[in-house]
Amino acid sequence: MTNSDLKLFVEFLLNKNYTIHSPVRKNGKIVIREITDSRKFSLIKERPLYSFKNFLLPDKKTLFSTTSDENKNGNDQKLIRKQVLFGITVFDLRAVSLLSQIFEKDPYFQDIISMTLFIGQSPIPEENSFYEKYEENILEHFKFDIFIESRGDQKDFRIFTGSKHGQKMLNEFGYDDFEHIEYAGAVPEEGLSDFHKKLKEKTKLSYGSKIWKDLGKKCLGCDKCTIVCPTCFCFKIYDENNIFNDSIARVRQWDSCFNSEFSEIAGGTKFLKTMEDRIYNWYSHKFVRIPDEYNLPGCVGCGRCADVCPAGINIKDEIFKIMKFKAKKPIAKMSKFKSKTLKKPRTKKLIYEKPI
Amino acid sequence: MRNQYKTYPLIITNIESQNALVKVFTLMPEDRKNIKCATDEKKIIKCWVPGQFISISIPGFGEAPFAICSSPNPCNEFQICVQKKGGLTSKFFSMSVGDEIDFRGPYGNGFPISKLSKRNLLLIAGGLGLAPLRPLIQIIANHAAEFGKVQLFGGSREEKMMLFKNEYGAWRKNIELNLTLDIPNENWNGSTGLVTALFDKIPISKNAIAIICGPPVMFPAVIKKIKKKGMAEKNIYLLLERRMHCGVGICQHCVLVNGKYVCKDGPVFNYAELKDSPGAI
Ligand code: SF4
Ligand code: SF4
Ligand code: FES
Repeated sequence: MTNSDLKLFVEFLLNKNYTIHSPVRKNGKIVIREITDSRKFSLIKERPLYSFKNFLLPDKKTLFSTTSDENKNGNDQKLIRKQVLFGITVFDLRAVSLLSQIFEKDPYFQDIISMTLFIGQSPIPEENSFYEKYEENILEHFKFDIFIESRGDQKDFRIFTGSKHGQKMLNEFGYDDFEHIEYAGAVPEEGLSDFHKKLKEKTKLSYGSKIWKDLGKKCLGCDKCTIVCPTCFCFKIYDENNIFNDSIARVRQWDSCFNSEFSEIAGGTKFLKTMEDRIYNWYSHKFVRIPDEYNLPGCVGCGRCADVCPAGINIKDEIFKIMKFKAKKPIAKMSKFKSKTLKKPRTKKLIYEKPI
Repeated sequence: MRNQYKTYPLIITNIESQNALVKVFTLMPEDRKNIKCATDEKKIIKCWVPGQFISISIPGFGEAPFAICSSPNPCNEFQICVQKKGGLTSKFFSMSVGDEIDFRGPYGNGFPISKLSKRNLLLIAGGLGLAPLRPLIQIIANHAAEFGKVQLFGGSREEKMMLFKNEYGAWRKNIELNLTLDIPNENWNGSTGLVTALFDKIPISKNAIAIICGPPVMFPAVIKKIKKKGMAEKNIYLLLERRMHCGVGICQHCVLVNGKYVCKDGPVFNYAELKDSPGAI
């Protein structure tokens, strides 16, 4: 498919009444905007600063409302529109896979997903992104409908489909030069990669170490990283009173674990007291809790958090530090050994380290 | 798909004032089917396990978790103990019998009932912490033969803050009640001082299981004390309080350093589960 074919495909989707969201260049920045004119469309290959997160998990969502009866029991189907996320990169597709697991039992999220057509693309590497090498075989673990692959400055994109819906769309459009990739579930057979297994253990082990003390001093708690992160999903639920139409709504809104009242209970006690507590909680959610709970990495390596951090914290460097972390030998515990075992010195085995 | 945030109506059937700041509300679901049932093996308990909590909401004032403070027999209604603290609880205080509110739940894991049978028990409550223990106390009162010696150590600030005062007589039949006040008045002939001080005066039974409910500040001191008196760490259970929004292990508000969610994995934890989790207690 060429760029001009893509324009025609956009036109085709617009005629099918899809709302199309896609990255566009605006004042030198890449932002996601609604595409209403197919002639102006061109596929932007850089990743937008903000992810597609809020098109799936809106920053604020009404759960129930007293304004209408049908709305009292959940989603108002009529309000959800068919949408296309056009040009969503593998980073964000990976994040969508994760969110789909986390919100598996959430009707609000699932209703939106069911109305969304995912058109993915391979990204070009960004300065701050990491550990995502794009290879064809990762696609089988992503839920997408259509995938546009381009390597280098090749002009004719290869097209893959990942769902029946994607195939149907392309067939109707009159394009059949695509390969189909069968979805093999979000979690690869081998589970977490060795890298992420190690990162998990090291993150746990390094609790209370200098890494976190330093980060605690550096971090301003501004919550910018949690807003741009495609996998951050913490939320709060509260009631909103609208005095103008005398209605009450229970809403779910993004929250950030960096907010000081995040862990506060009635009476004022906080459990994430210091910035060190909060930033450790943030990293350990991504590197420990999510891998433990879902067998998937909690960070997709997009590097957005590093782009926005006013304190200059770069997650790539921090991961490097965590991976290098070595626990100090628990010397204090040595004295607990019975002297008997120490009497006879063990013969030392020489272990030659493999050259790296 | 079942909506996990959907709430169900409850009717307030009784309101009993404990003191100026605390009221006990009796609540009846409009439809009994709306309470998710949890049943333990011994069938002493139906519908909910003491220690579980319920999410209560009043439209316009939001949701909050409350410990169920009544025994699950009968289970067509239940009680919660409300202390006037914020917007939702203040609204609660202005409500009357017959008014409707909403709930979802119950949530979490309660006390390990099957592990408690035939055992000596040491129940330790600080302030409002007596509320989640009350269903257990009521079960003990009705099934005394199922348990060993039961001691209750309770601390309150002042006499007028003591909860469930008119039930102590009934409890005493099967339970050794040891109560203390921080600030005693002239009529008080019980102990004074913090609940920790009680342990210096009253011996605790051997091989007991301890259950501690109370404000976060109370835990470290009490644990230190009872460990000194010979309590094994593996026999200590605690009920934790955290900020909660979803109640089902997703929103992250209630998480502990060890990755456990108070809403889903707790609120009752064995002490051993929390030792590796700094800040949990
Ligand atoms: S933590 Fe940073 S690098 Fe990882 S997914 Fe979130 S924004 Fe991207
Ligand atoms: S963007 Fe940087 S300074 Fe702000 S909360 Fe995140 S890590 Fe801390
Ligand atoms: S209350 Fe949401 S995770 Fe526990």
